[in-house]
Amino acid sequence: MALVDITTLAPEQRHDHAAAIGEPIIDARHVAVKFKVESGLVDAVKDVSFQLYRGETIAVVGESGSGKSVTARTVMGLLTKRATVSDQSSIQYDGKNVLKFSDRQRRALRGNRISMIFQEPMSSLNPVYTIGAQIIEAIRVHQRMSRAEARERTLELLRQVQIPDPESRINQYPHQLSGGQRQRIMIAMALANSPDVLIADEPTTALDVTVQAQILNLIRDLQKTLGMAVILITHDLTVVRQFSDYVYVMQNGEVKEHNTTLALFENPQHPYTRHLLNSEPKGRANPMPMDSAAILEGRDVRVSFMLKAGGFFKPQLKELVAVDSLSIKLHRHETLGLVGESGSGKTTFGQALVKLMRADGGEILFDGQPIQDKTREEMRPLRSRMQVVFQDPFSSLNPRMSVGQIIEEGLVVNKLGATRNERLERVREALNSAGLPNNILSRFPHEFSGGQRQRIAIARAVALEPEFILLDEPTSALDLSVQAQIIELLRKLQDEKGLSYLFISHDLKVVRALCHRVVVMQHGKIVEEGPVEDVLTHPKTAYTERLVRAAFEVAA
Amino acid sequence: MKADVQTAVIVPTPPAGHGNETYSALVWRRLKRSWTGMAGLVLVCMLMLITIFAEFFSPVDPKLTGVAFAPPQTISITDQEGNLVWPRTYQVGEGTELDPITFQPIVGPDYANPLDLGFFVKGFQYRFLGLIPTDRHFFGATNGTPVNLLGTDKFGRDVLSRIFHGSRVSLMIALTVVFIVTVVGTTVGMVSGYFGGRFDTWMQRFVELVLAFPQLPLYLALTSLIPVTAPTNVFLAFVIFVMSALGWAQMSREVRGKTLALARIDYVRAAMAIGATDRRIIFQHIFPNVMSHVIVSVTLAIPSVVLLESFLGFLGFAVKPPLMSWGLMLQDTSTYSVIGSYPWILSPVAFVLITVFAFNALGDGLRDAVDPY
Repeated sequence: MALVDITTLAPEQRHDHAAAIGEPIIDARHVAVKFKVESGLVDAVKDVSFQLYRGETIAVVGESGSGKSVTARTVMGLLTKRATVSDQSSIQYDGKNVLKFSDRQRRALRGNRISMIFQEPMSSLNPVYTIGAQIIEAIRVHQRMSRAEARERTLELLRQVQIPDPESRINQYPHQLSGGQRQRIMIAMALANSPDVLIADEPTTALDVTVQAQILNLIRDLQKTLGMAVILITHDLTVVRQFSDYVYVMQNGEVKEHNTTLALFENPQHPYTRHLLNSEPKGRANPMPMDSAAILEGRDVRVSFMLKAGGFFKPQLKELVAVDSLSIKLHRHETLGLVGESGSGKTTFGQALVKLMRADGGEILFDGQPIQDKTREEMRPLRSRMQVVFQDPFSSLNPRMSVGQIIEEGLVVNKLGATRNERLERVREALNSAGLPNNILSRFPHEFSGGQRQRIAIARAVALEPEFILLDEPTSALDLSVQAQIIELLRKLQDEKGLSYLFISHDLKVVRALCHRVVVMQHGKIVEEGPVEDVLTHPKTAYTERLVRAAFEVAA
Repeated sequence: MKADVQTAVIVPTPPAGHGNETYSALVWRRLKRSWTGMAGLVLVCMLMLITIFAEFFSPVDPKLTGVAFAPPQTISITDQEGNLVWPRTYQVGEGTELDPITFQPIVGPDYANPLDLGFFVKGFQYRFLGLIPTDRHFFGATNGTPVNLLGTDKFGRDVLSRIFHGSRVSLMIALTVVFIVTVVGTTVGMVSGYFGGRFDTWMQRFVELVLAFPQLPLYLALTSLIPVTAPTNVFLAFVIFVMSALGWAQMSREVRGKTLALARIDYVRAAMAIGATDRRIIFQHIFPNVMSHVIVSVTLAIPSVVLLESFLGFLGFAVKPPLMSWGLMLQDTSTYSVIGSYPWILSPVAFVLITVFAFNALGDGLRDAVDPY
């Protein structure tokens, strides 16, 4: 019914001439939410206004802590008891202020007119009910419908979200489905009552890159056919660019800038938007010296796990081969990317190479020295020369130890530095080279943000002056702009200290920015390897091509 | 670009007041927010003071005998004519008249001789903290006459003073048992959970065996093994040994579970990656993180031992006279006629209740406070 294509309107027109293009379906003005915490009140959302019109997709972009999820939950009325919405806030849905609704009115709205899908599809489905039962319940809560009719409708929904063979899937339990399929079920449940508005809160963050594109395409197609309005909450700018009509950029609980997607990406106005757009990983690894010697070599490395199969009376062991006779060679000053989807065995392979996990077969050479049969005791002298940085900086730092103790521990264990002062001097140096101030020795990890914690973890590794560092997805738990800083830091450290990296990642954008060579893994096997530019521009296998497409184009 | 990297890191300055605080300060701040936790803490502290300075707080020598089953003396601030006077009480004496039904001498307050009460009065001789001889008491009659605020037992001994002295044995048993249980349970649990393998498998079967034992019959059987003629301290040690031997298994189970989870966490693997020894990993990384759980378990285990002691004492299996304990005092209440006629000898129950509540409340408060991260 819109006479004007609202998606092409500039911000001021969009907000002031709403009458000309029809009423917005959701009109939020000056939303502010405070949270009660130990030390008083925290402003999670300070002043957010947005409009959502029928049939359009708006994206709310921001880094963690920007208040984008809280805004979405306010619309849904799903805030915790600790939260208070300020009095001047108003969220009009169809001309009525939902913030003034009673619990009963809200329930009638939720899952019916406005529905939401969440980031983690495993925890948002109830594991003890079949998916059919859960969707049928979602329908029957809001509509008078017999069980059989609801079942019919469920099958139709499953077909709509392209679940293969819906007649048998309807009786399956969530654990029998893959992550991508579970997210499809969540979408089916959200669509069960043909809502006017679908709020998608980071719908693909927990999924593999190749699945991400499928889910987003599905949401877009459904939006077109059903005429819904979609609020897409994400931190991923590639997703925003391809799937949204209009963008709101949030930082610290405020909308910093909003514009049509095209205009925003072409001509960002606010410094924060520019900063965000600039933080896509870029640059390339600096060229490595010619004919450098190999530092780490794996030959036919094999890791398998024994799984219990069969029942109590017929015990059987089933072998799961996680790493299937792989060979790899890493040179000094080189960064080798190890890429694959989750479950491809890349982390297992990496950990086996540094002997944090036992390899069943093959040979591992570190600096020409075979280490595959060394015990933990015998490995000890080599430990300071090979280090690991883990994915999650929140679990890799002991919460009971101060930053100084954490970094110093490696020096104490390896008896580096004669006196305590000498060791502390090295700790300070390590902090400096990780880009942190050196006066934080007595602080505890919980006082730092994710990016800062990852720097502390890097400082811990660097303090030992290793020759080789295993980087196990060091950037994937971090915000985009922090990610760019960490990549920059890793590149700098490599140049200064001549480090070699084995970089495990699923994100080809980061891999391109950091690695010299790349090895692509799938189901415990290497499917492709070569210089990073070759592999990314001319992928030889379909699998690599899918990964590349997912990383750089998403929807292509 | 490199300059960018440097300046990009803005380390948060700790907010004024409580930034950069130690772990214990953080726990304390969070415990203070819990109303029941603080109440528990205050009560526990009071109990401990009473236990340590039992002689000082007891108005009467707990071994002094007087009128049997004398009812609690009341404190009045008026005399017989209703005039306001200094707080006083009347000693209970046996009259010459007999009860027409039971033919026992009728006991009642001796209004003729009021006893003025006061704080820090002189009473029986004792050694303060076992060292300094003194006769000062927290409160009592100003002229040193025994005051039985909770009445007397069958030998005419002051119940209140015996409760104060009995708390010593009851809490000593509880604390010793819990200490042994914690040390053994934590060690076994951490070792078993961290090293795993065959040792863990067998250790866990053994733990299950201990847990599956029918505990009560075992207590009774074991305590009756020891000869009645054995000296009291041997008997006490034996009771403690039996309680600890049956109690450590639960603690080791809990600690093992926690250790299993911690051993897989990234910072433990990071420690392995820097070449840390098992000993270092256990003491630096696992132990401090298990500790919070253990502290809570300890505060919750103490009341259960107090309860067990009072129960076994009631059955006559825990402590033998002349030691005093709450359980032993309750042994006198085992006949119906006694409870019916002299209900005040049940008052140790109130102290058991207070102790259990105090430690449980403190434990609950601590549970919320110890994991601030």
